[in-house]
Amino acid sequence: MSSPDHQSNPDLDETINVTQAHGRVASDCAAAAREKHLADSGREAVPLWVITACGVVLLIAGGVLGNAGTLFSYDNTFRADYVRGTAPGGAADGPQPKTALVAFSAKGSKIYSSKCNGCHGSDGKGDGANYPSLVGSDFVIGDTQQLAMVILNGIQGPTSTGKTYGAGIMPAQGAGMSAEDLAGVMTYIRNNFGNSTGDVTSVEMAKNAFDLSASREKAGQPVTSEEVRAAHSSMLAGAEIFPDIMVNPATLAPIE
Amino acid sequence: MSSEVFNNLEQDSALRASIDRSLRHPVMFFLTSGAAWLAVSIILGVISSAKVHSPGFLDGFGFLTYGRTQAAHLNALIYGWGFQAAFGVIVWMLSRLSRQECRAAGMILTAGHIWNLGVSVGIIGILAGFGTGMPWMEFPSFCWPVLLLSYFAIVVWSLVQFKVRPEGHVYISQWYLMAAMIWFPWVFITANVLLHMMPGNPVMAAGINAWYKSSLIFLFFTPVALGTAFYLVPKVSGRPIHSYSLAQLGFWSLAVIMPWAGMQKLTGAPIPYFLPYLGATATILFFVPAFTAAVNILRTAMTDPEVVNNSPTLRFTMAGVVGLIVMAVAAVFLNIPGKTMEFSQFSMSVYGFEILAIYAFFSFVMFGAIYFIVPRVTRREWLSRRLIKMHFFFSIYGIVSIAVIAIFGGVQQGIGQEAFDQPWLEAALRAYPYAVFITIAWCFILFSNIFFFMHLTVMWLRLGRRSTHPTLLVSGHHGSPHGEEGDIDNCGSGTASAH
Repeated sequence: MSSPDHQSNPDLDETINVTQAHGRVASDCAAAAREKHLADSGREAVPLWVITACGVVLLIAGGVLGNAGTLFSYDNTFRADYVRGTAPGGAADGPQPKTALVAFSAKGSKIYSSKCNGCHGSDGKGDGANYPSLVGSDFVIGDTQQLAMVILNGIQGPTSTGKTYGAGIMPAQGAGMSAEDLAGVMTYIRNNFGNSTGDVTSVEMAKNAFDLSASREKAGQPVTSEEVRAAHSSMLAGAEIFPDIMVNPATLAPIE
Repeated sequence: MSSEVFNNLEQDSALRASIDRSLRHPVMFFLTSGAAWLAVSIILGVISSAKVHSPGFLDGFGFLTYGRTQAAHLNALIYGWGFQAAFGVIVWMLSRLSRQECRAAGMILTAGHIWNLGVSVGIIGILAGFGTGMPWMEFPSFCWPVLLLSYFAIVVWSLVQFKVRPEGHVYISQWYLMAAMIWFPWVFITANVLLHMMPGNPVMAAGINAWYKSSLIFLFFTPVALGTAFYLVPKVSGRPIHSYSLAQLGFWSLAVIMPWAGMQKLTGAPIPYFLPYLGATATILFFVPAFTAAVNILRTAMTDPEVVNNSPTLRFTMAGVVGLIVMAVAAVFLNIPGKTMEFSQFSMSVYGFEILAIYAFFSFVMFGAIYFIVPRVTRREWLSRRLIKMHFFFSIYGIVSIAVIAIFGGVQQGIGQEAFDQPWLEAALRAYPYAVFITIAWCFILFSNIFFFMHLTVMWLRLGRRSTHPTLLVSGHHGSPHGEEGDIDNCGSGTASAH
């Protein structure tokens, strides 16, 4: 800095490499320098096809707003003549559909309270001395043929546990029962009071039970536990109904 | 733009470089922490989506139940990623457009940290079970004043800069960004005060909540993304905006129509009968501001398709604009009463539409802006065009899958739900395959964003390429992966470089 040359040329400092310094400025501003400028916006007219497209959407939106009733009427919370449309499956023609297990059991519980309740009790446990319990009984939760034969014909002598109860005989309950009634009461007994087989005895299976019962050797007489075990240790034949399928609770027919 | 003071090009570049330098710390903080929240949000999204089809997945952890992860996923996406990306872009772009250095960078950075703290506490609160259960407002109720105050501390400087800007006409981007900055506090204060401080009829509260969601999309994220696209496209392509009148139509229709939208979510609920129809009408009419803006931007950019293809900024921005058009068509398709509205409001269609808006439109434009802004504020170029391409394609595949599957799967699910005489299981089974695909698509997006986050973090650490040439997505073999010149310069900025 003492040299007179430097004093007369203060801008020239030989410790700075000019090329380098210029390069630094150029690279520091490089991204900004290569940018393009924002020009004034163009003055093109709005294209006709854009107006048309927006017009179509305006028509759709107008149609939607047309359903809105009176605008800004804060007291109306629903349309005056509103009725819920018919449900798919024709539910409007009959009662509300239910799942098969619920519908069959509901029908069965009515039969149970008129035919079975008196002896086996509202809790299905009998009284321990004269009437046996239905809870956990082999004949109840085992093969459906066994249960159907006992209900339709009654049973004499020892029960599934080998014990003979005070009453000695259960009278036949089949008289006046329809196939729907039998299917319902069987489903109800097998899925209540602590029993839970989880299956539904279909109407078709119940019809099979009536046929089997009529073709017994000693038709009309109560069964014995030996006969039940020997001849009816299998499930009733017929199309199955899955427990979660939707059915009409009055007719027990599946909803299409 | 060429006032007397800045008629010297070199001076002009120096001013722009100094604006970028003044904003380096707040902008990089917003963008990087936003990208980190995006990754967190996507991980939570994968978990919650997996639970829709495999309920046993991670079922041993109470804080990872569906109700918590889904809420945390969306809130992290909106307040963690969406808002912070918007802050970074707003603060930078309005400084550039007002032609002034930022004098409050420290304040903005501090407020940004407080915003992050609010979001973190909110997300932890949701996962810990203290969520409010109001969609998009699940943060525990003490969070919202924190967010509001830090919001003002972040954006008020941009308003001041706008006030003292040099004379000149107000550019289209400024309309949109300023409007979004003013609309957001209106929407946010209205919804939070009505729901947290003055709770009224609970059915109407659900309606206000639905309006809040809709307004965040249409009155904040949409204008921020549109303003950004209107800046980036002419800036990169060098073309003027196609039509000023089209831009005016787009802006004013957005301002007039969109505040009415939202209540269609409560179709059939006991609220005033006209409100859902009014909401559906306004949402359908979103087509007008969206389509006019999209046509304007596409017409501007497509004068030079090669630039769009090569520039990472324009590629992402254009994908976002295409996302906007899809979103506009979906807004019409999903809101026709008696046809689709019943099926779309309580199914995953809603989610599909939200993801379409937040990711396919808003986030893609934000990615475009990030690829433009970051090299300027860090003065380093993006390291790898391959990473950018990975980010682009995996994001595109992922988001197209999610949007299409969720919207159409949602309609299927809605048809199942409407059959009220059938067990609920039927509706769930209809949605099952779509849910599986949504999980897979989120995994794609997660994959792409892990690469994006790494790339951005490296740039934040100023480990980017020292070069005067941008990283372009040119294809073919040019010898060097860094462009034709191959002028990678690791000797420091003192070395002479290509001009």
